[in-house]
Amino acid sequence: MAELAQTEKKNRTCVFLAIGVVLLLSLFPLLSPPAYFLSMLYMVFLYVILAESWNIIGGYAGYLSFGHVAFFGLGAYTTAFLMNKLALSPVLTILSAIPGGFVAALVALAIGYPCLRLRGPYFAVVTMCFAFVVHMVMQNIDLFGGVEGLWLAAMKQPIQVIRGIFYELMLALMVLVVLFVRWMEGSKLGKGLVTIREDEEVAQTLGIHTPRVKILAFVLSAFFPGVAGGLHAYYLTYISPENVFDVMVSILIVLMTLFGGGGSWLGALIGAVSLSLVNEFLTTFVGAEIARIIYGMLFIVVIIFMPNGIMEFFRRRRRIRLAAEEVPES
Amino acid sequence: MLQGEKITKRFGGLVAVSRLDFEIGEGEVVGLIGPNGSGKTTLFNVISGLYTPEEGTLTFRGRRIEGRKPYEVSKMGIGRTFQIVKPLLTMTVLENIAIGALYGREGARDMKSALAKSEEILRFTGLEKRRDVLAENLKLADRKRLEIARAMATRPEILLLDEVFAGLNETEIDEAIRLVKGIQQKFGTTIFIIEHVLKAIMKTCGRVIVINFGEKIAEGTPEEVTRNPGVIEAYLGNAPGI
Repeated sequence: MAELAQTEKKNRTCVFLAIGVVLLLSLFPLLSPPAYFLSMLYMVFLYVILAESWNIIGGYAGYLSFGHVAFFGLGAYTTAFLMNKLALSPVLTILSAIPGGFVAALVALAIGYPCLRLRGPYFAVVTMCFAFVVHMVMQNIDLFGGVEGLWLAAMKQPIQVIRGIFYELMLALMVLVVLFVRWMEGSKLGKGLVTIREDEEVAQTLGIHTPRVKILAFVLSAFFPGVAGGLHAYYLTYISPENVFDVMVSILIVLMTLFGGGGSWLGALIGAVSLSLVNEFLTTFVGAEIARIIYGMLFIVVIIFMPNGIMEFFRRRRRIRLAAEEVPES
Repeated sequence: MLQGEKITKRFGGLVAVSRLDFEIGEGEVVGLIGPNGSGKTTLFNVISGLYTPEEGTLTFRGRRIEGRKPYEVSKMGIGRTFQIVKPLLTMTVLENIAIGALYGREGARDMKSALAKSEEILRFTGLEKRRDVLAENLKLADRKRLEIARAMATRPEILLLDEVFAGLNETEIDEAIRLVKGIQQKFGTTIFIIEHVLKAIMKTCGRVIVINFGEKIAEGTPEEVTRNPGVIEAYLGNAPGI
């Protein structure tokens, strides 16, 4: 009982801590810091959203999608297209990120049905090809600007204010996504996904409608990147197939999630925050080329010594320590 | 309650199950025995929906089930275990059972109520001391128990047990026999069981079906079947001159 009360207390401390951090982050733009810091944190939030979303299908269900940037790009294009066609006001443009999410989710629904029948490396390859196909299609449709891409009219505000607005929006979306994934982890859906990851045959014989559950996970994991893509398009004010369908993004979000620990909301959060910060700092202070090398070596170390992510690495060590403490009693 | 008529399952040119007829009545404990590779597990896979038979019909409580998906079959009340145990390694014992309660025939609304429902089965299967142990840390006998517990959590009307005694020692076999008998007595679950351990068959089954090369070669009480010359030949080979 005492132990239970203690974990309860510990949990409450964590919740307060998290609320505190989010509050501090949301107040940060008021200090009018250099725009550089705002955009750096903005990118961190963006990567957390992408990694957490990927985690739903890749981490919990174990279906490693290597084409998730497609959903991000589709969201970006939806918003850019809607803004240009309907001459939307700034507020409506921001809101048009939501249809961006729906477009991404709809595409996920369509391709998920055939793709989710494949497992393991086949699924990874087919999702990667899917992203290339979307990239090529967007490049060749004049309606969407072709290779040249699309421009979005920037807000008529000082750059500092614009950066602040997008910073807050991305922060809000990140909090929403993290809370959603955290809730999902303990939900019926989350447990079903983990069962599918562990053994799909067992999942089926226990009564889990696996095709339906997998599609739902895939659609959810596409929706949030779509919304984030819509916001990001307006933030950039210029999008082209080259920059919103960059295959590196697909790979990075996979690595971030696995680095932190797939199948855990906290793991994806830690992975995305740490790696995007490391990337930023190295690029800024050491130089992009060296940054890539260090980054690459870091992955090798992680994959050899902590194949299940840093979360699992520390949890396992703790378990071993606890087990060692128990031995003398028996 | 469960009937199969002329069930045939082929893999390319290989006929794994051939025009097999069987029937299992409510509350029975029926054994399915046969040499290795005789098609026992294939038959279980056909019943539980993992395989679709090429020919024949399967009827469960008056409804045709051949070719239905495993999750449909499970929801109709047919539970199963796997010969090669498949615990969900990253979950605790109680969580493993709860997945059955969560998605099974009675389906819980959320994980919390599924966990609550699972406590009874945890105690019944004698796993309460292992409640919070990760499944990857269980020894084989406990993994077999867990396999049964998880299938029971789906609240099946008929339970297909695939070699739950294999690889266990004498004491563990006795415990497992008590468990299987208990399932039938306490929950009234009908049981269809594949087994090689003769002692277990003798003590649990009222009736035994023997198959070889996918065909039924004998059926009857355990005593009748073990005296049947055809069955002895299937297991030991024929001895010319005797």
